[in-house]
Amino acid sequence: MAAMAPLDLTEVLKNAPPGDWIALSNDEKRIVATGRTLDETVKAAKESGEAHPIVLKVPPVSALIV
Amino acid sequence: MRFPYVLFPARPDAAFPARQAVARPALAISLRRGGSDIITYALVDSGADNCIFPASLAGQLGITIPNQNAYVFSGTQDAPQLAYFETVTASVWDVAANRPHTFELYAGFCATLEHIGLGLLGQDGFFSRFTVAFDHRNRYFDVTPTPES
Repeated sequence: MAAMAPLDLTEVLKNAPPGDWIALSNDEKRIVATGRTLDETVKAAKESGEAHPIVLKVPPVSALIV
Repeated sequence: MRFPYVLFPARPDAAFPARQAVARPALAISLRRGGSDIITYALVDSGADNCIFPASLAGQLGITIPNQNAYVFSGTQDAPQLAYFETVTASVWDVAANRPHTFELYAGFCATLEHIGLGLLGQDGFFSRFTVAFDHRNRYFDVTPTPES
């Protein structure tokens, strides 16, 4: 199989509010909604016309050890 | 199936003053139960015993928690953590085949993953079903279904 460039979300997430839920467009190119709760974020994303958003958070601390 | 690493934004700090991004072996995964579904990112994490997601996702899938399938585990925090498990249908996109790869997943939902906002794909449920090979240098990983999966 061919090599593959990494999926770079740094630009699309650079102004994302840390700690909030974020809904990305299904093509992962833009933020379609943000919110304090997942419910309100998904609702807003669908109201914006994005039927299948991808949801995530940008943690307040960027290092991740789980 | 080959997946790219995902570059997430990071802030420089004293230990890593030049760091602007972190590369993680993560993938977009759809979770479905009944008529409900949600798509999120999950970290492929060989150090996790199970597959666990933030608790909020359970609500989107119509899963009421707490339920009877409680599981106590420990992570980096001092206190024991609780996850509640339910079987969901998971799908990841197989780019080469141009179709989803779908499998049943006994997934946990945990309040202590809320602050991370990512799922974890661990040994039981993911590594038990797929052979995973990481290529950090070239920023991709291969996920191959095992014959029994």
